[in-house]
Amino acid sequence: MPVAAGIGLRAPHVARVLAERPRIAWLETHSENLFATGGPFRDAMDGIRPDYPLSLHGVGLSLGSADALDTAHLRRLREVVDRYQPELVSEHLCWGALGGRHSNDLLPLPFTEEALQLVVSRIEQVQDALGRQILVENISTYLRFEGSDYTEWDFVAESVQRSGCGLLCDVNNIYVNSINHGFDPQVYLRAMPRAAVQEIHLAGFTRKDNLPVPLLIDSHSRRVDAAVWKLYAEAIDLFGPVPTLIEWDQDIPKLEVLLDEAAHAGEVLDARRALAA
Amino acid sequence: MHAAPSLLECQRRFMAALYAPEEPGQVEAIVGNGLEPAARLRIYRHSCEAIHTGALRTTYPAVLALVGEAFFDQCASGYRRVHASPSGNLQAFGGHFADYLETLPELRTLPYLPDVARLEWLRQQAILAGDAEALPNAVFERALAVSESTFMLHPSVQRLASPHAILTIFQYAMAPGEEGLQLPDTGENVLLWREDGEVAMTTLDAASFACIETIAHGHTLAVANAAACAIDPAFDLRACIGSLVQRGLIVRPTSSPGTKESKPCQ
Repeated sequence: MPVAAGIGLRAPHVARVLAERPRIAWLETHSENLFATGGPFRDAMDGIRPDYPLSLHGVGLSLGSADALDTAHLRRLREVVDRYQPELVSEHLCWGALGGRHSNDLLPLPFTEEALQLVVSRIEQVQDALGRQILVENISTYLRFEGSDYTEWDFVAESVQRSGCGLLCDVNNIYVNSINHGFDPQVYLRAMPRAAVQEIHLAGFTRKDNLPVPLLIDSHSRRVDAAVWKLYAEAIDLFGPVPTLIEWDQDIPKLEVLLDEAAHAGEVLDARRALAA
Repeated sequence: MHAAPSLLECQRRFMAALYAPEEPGQVEAIVGNGLEPAARLRIYRHSCEAIHTGALRTTYPAVLALVGEAFFDQCASGYRRVHASPSGNLQAFGGHFADYLETLPELRTLPYLPDVARLEWLRQQAILAGDAEALPNAVFERALAVSESTFMLHPSVQRLASPHAILTIFQYAMAPGEEGLQLPDTGENVLLWREDGEVAMTTLDAASFACIETIAHGHTLAVANAAACAIDPAFDLRACIGSLVQRGLIVRPTSSPGTKESKPCQ
């Protein structure tokens, strides 16, 4: 994957990317969008893929479900990975389903030894099934469970180190959680296994008003906040330049806005390179 | 401080709270940190409901237009509690929405609505279906001459017969004209398929619909022709199958072992 800034490819931009092939360092799409065996999105991706490095980002595998992985979902993911041969494949460090009932949301795990052992075994199961390393992403959360054995950052780091997967470090999620749960995001960043960081995500959040405590919602609906840009620069200082993605999933703007955000991330990467030179 | 429940128990409670019609009062094992635990859980309840409602709105735009946003969201909220999402792939959610609408007493004045929903679900199946190579004309001509031939329809082909004018209603719901819709008295048989990346739909006469339905079930041309001729003695098998071939909707013969020739209605 080029060490540059890419964008998440979403439906409103597919036709334009297909027709104009704008200059974008790389693209990411949700793996599940390619689960259908035909149709316009798959046709478009078949056309786009040769011209862009690609990351497949899963939102529905539910690595942390206490009962079992959905093997049909995993099998379909394998077929999609085989077809598109993406540079990166990622999933979320979360759960989302139980007993065949799916929330289709990214739900928080308790930071317990039991949960840690489960997600490590699941990451290994997925890597075995796909025959390749995957990345896992730290999620944004709005609650914590009692009885934690780990801090969130130690839980993330241990998951990565014990399973041998890579880390998709979502800097916006770290910032959102630092506000929602009251911790220093730099402590989180410094706890990340640097060599494992293979991708960074950036997105915009919204503030939830009229609550007794500050709360941020990871809405992916606006430009990256200034505080997150600052934390991103600190992350790049720590990790070195890393492929970075702009995510935008609600109130999706014109492609130019995403490209502008990606250009900003590219400037941060270039500045770090210039410093190292 | 509560003892941490097992992961399974923790997730059971969480999932139950996400789907419960009423907000849970006492929530154990969640750290409040300045907020009521229930308020933190509420964020997930709203998010999960918004995701599922949004998915149904995307799949069922005509139903949404016909009943309005507020009632649609109420239906969506009830639906997800009866028919939970079965997959991590959201495209699989909503397959029983038509059946659910049929159970709602409030919708008895809109008897066509479940079939409009069925049409919309089939539209989604058509758009997501796999691809297949169209049957070359020459092969079609040879196969058509043999009454024991069977044909494979393109995977995107879907069919729906309704006692209501569902295609007319769907089109009106999606693009209402300035004048109101005069509902036809008769039902409509609809054929759906994917064409140039979009869903195409047309109504069919009853005989053609029966013919295509019979072929779709794997029966021979002779059986399909008989089914159609029982409805319309003037049925033209060649014209019916030819229209499918023109649209690239016949993809390959699965067998043509016999030598009996196809015959018109007798």
